Amino acid sequence: MVCKMAMFMDLNISFTKDKKTLQNIIETAAHLGYSTVAINYTLESQQKKPEIPKPASISDLFDKLPVVQGRSRPIKVLNRLTVVATDPSHFRPTSEYKLFDLVAVHPKTEKIFHAACMTFEADIICVTVTEKQPFHFKRAPVNGAIDRGVFFEIIYTPAIRDSTMRRYTIGNSLGLMETCKGKGVILSSGAEKPLELRGPYDIANLGILFGLSEGDAKAAVSTNCRSVVLGGETRTTAFGIIHTVKKPPSAPTPSDKDESGETDNPASKRAKMEQ
Amino acid sequence: MEDLAAFERLVCKNASDFHYMKICLVLEKGRRNVEAAQFKQLMISGLRQLYGEVGAALPFDVLKFDPSTLTGMVRVCNSSLVKLWSAITLIGSYQNELCAFRVTQVSPFLIALSGNSRKLELD
Amino acid sequence: MSPELERCSRNLLICEKSNFRDERARYDIHVSKHFFNYKLSMVIPECASLPACIAGVIQTFSSYYRVRDLPVYKFLQEDILQKVVKNGHFYALSYNTRIDEDNTIAFLPSGHLIMSVNKDTYEQLGLEGKPSQYTHRKVQRYVVNVDLTDKSMTPGAKTYQRLITSLKEWVPLKSDFLISMKMTAEDDGGALQTLLSQYSFEEYRPTLQTHTLKETPCPSLHSSNLHGDEKSCDAHRFLEWLGAVSMDISCNNEASSFLSTYVCPEPWSSMSQGLLCTVTGFLIPEDIHSLLLELRHYFDQPKFTSWLSITVHGFADSPVSWGMTEHGFLKGGENFYNFVCFENQDYWLHMATGSHDGCPP
Repeated sequence: MVCKMAMFMDLNISFTKDKKTLQNIIETAAHLGYSTVAINYTLESQQKKPEIPKPASISDLFDKLPVVQGRSRPIKVLNRLTVVATDPSHFRPTSEYKLFDLVAVHPKTEKIFHAACMTFEADIICVTVTEKQPFHFKRAPVNGAIDRGVFFEIIYTPAIRDSTMRRYTIGNSLGLMETCKGKGVILSSGAEKPLELRGPYDIANLGILFGLSEGDAKAAVSTNCRSVVLGGETRTTAFGIIHTVKKPPSAPTPSDKDESGETDNPASKRAKMEQ
Repeated sequence: MEDLAAFERLVCKNASDFHYMKICLVLEKGRRNVEAAQFKQLMISGLRQLYGEVGAALPFDVLKFDPSTLTGMVRVCNSSLVKLWSAITLIGSYQNELCAFRVTQVSPFLIALSGNSRKLELD
Repeated sequence: MSPELERCSRNLLICEKSNFRDERARYDIHVSKHFFNYKLSMVIPECASLPACIAGVIQTFSSYYRVRDLPVYKFLQEDILQKVVKNGHFYALSYNTRIDEDNTIAFLPSGHLIMSVNKDTYEQLGLEGKPSQYTHRKVQRYVVNVDLTDKSMTPGAKTYQRLITSLKEWVPLKSDFLISMKMTAEDDGGALQTLLSQYSFEEYRPTLQTHTLKETPCPSLHSSNLHGDEKSCDAHRFLEWLGAVSMDISCNNEASSFLSTYVCPEPWSSMSQGLLCTVTGFLIPEDIHSLLLELRHYFDQPKFTSWLSITVHGFADSPVSWGMTEHGFLKGGENFYNFVCFENQDYWLHMATGSHDGCPP
């Protein structure tokens, strides 16, 4: 239930074998007011024999999860897999993908970007921030992704580490915004160290620099992340149990009609399709 | 009996020229001596890196700085708020040491920063 | 460069001028309708220590309680509803919940239950509500406002039963709460104690802190002049100065100073000392009202100052600011008011809200 609200999330904390560092990052995230974080495992597909990592169990990481600042609840920790793909064959949703709460794809070519937007069963499409954007963000795939409830992710730590990366981050983000108009974007850290994390309101403000409006920028660290997590839940249960929300018979749902223009709740949409 | 003040009511929308920020600097190796001027200088260097010379020239005031907590109260023109905030968010090191600026409160009213109900800790 | 980089969300400041003795003055209503107060701070120029009579009033401030994991429907049980929630002086606000993230619940002394909830909770509750005014792109938050004094909410009535079923069975909504109540002659709070004792709770007293202000420039105020001109300072600048003295910020800076160029607004005179007194907790309007009455009497004896000030800060995460006006949090949740009380019983009242808030009354 916890992740069903519009709470702040950072869906990209870099996995490291250094347990202490990972704990520190998650503790810092909780202290900064993030209610949910995802530990990200990267699969570099272009290697000869790519091996899909096994996500570590959260209970091995913490006996007791840190409490979210100013709240009475512990932080929620998810696992995420990011597949770096230079060829469409790199993205193969096998049962191993299902060990992760979230699946992201980092497309390296326009062709894969198109496939990621239109067909891949992924929750997140990573935007390149460490080099100049290698292809145009075309309207059709971008809108396709938005309609399918797949979100574009911009990570901000490279922009903190290096001024060249900063130029790429800002430039590539502005390029994406021209096409997506601020819709379907999430902002995450990609942090490898606790001090690379920034607070949710700091990031909501930083989003304005990346071309988002004030409201879209706040959504990019809260409500949009929630949609991603819900989408992930549906995907991982798609072949098993289907989540349905029990609605009381006379519940007024005036909200269903006024959502034109934005991605509908991808979870409920997919759940309906699966049914 | 003397005359009573005549009732008068003014509605001011966005009448404040400034925004006020409570900002904390966190250093990797914990606290050490940072002076108010160094704190401001670091912020200016962030502005210069991100917005160039024009950015470095944006006026803002460090109204107060507490060296024991590395926390400052800053006053900035409304039109510079987003720029100053984004510039310090992207600062990642201070004198070859990792650091982070954390904005803990923002308001168009300075007096609003004298109380933060989110910090009401009863435990 | 994007114009968004230079934009700022809106804020509102209402400035009123009147006299406490004027029968038409509505200051007491504005106080009583600002339900959830986190902190008050008084600035009394040329005063060395807190006058005993003012300290005495603060002593009488109501205690408040923090109770853990209390199900909302418990407030609606017949006995509690009649004796506590609808007694006209009952205040409850969910604690450790954030209005821009979590479900937030408040009971107002008017007998209203306000639930500001996310879309999922709203749909599961099946109660009638309105989309939050501070909606971005699509509605994610709804506000349910139930008038518990309405006939249809009499225990046993169909609508009442429906509310109980919603909160007990469909969505067993529970939260930590801050609770306070003005005790009256008829009611010693026995029913409230019975409710609290079923859960883990602690009682708190509002905390009083006093601080002596050193010699500092102090703006000259003339009660008849709210606008500010060469003889008197305007509201924003005055509030800025008040913030500065409250936080020990220096007002003596040169225009060429590197750190800060902030100066006390003109015209000013020197204040040789002053008293800053703050009270923090879950403060109820009845208590603030009695403090304000006492402050008016401060000028019964001649004083070296012609004015004093009291500022009252609302909770940043309350679902309402004044009355039932929806309150939200974008990057700040400011909602506060300030009285400047003059020796001739004139007063200025400033009421301020940020971007996700209605206009103060």
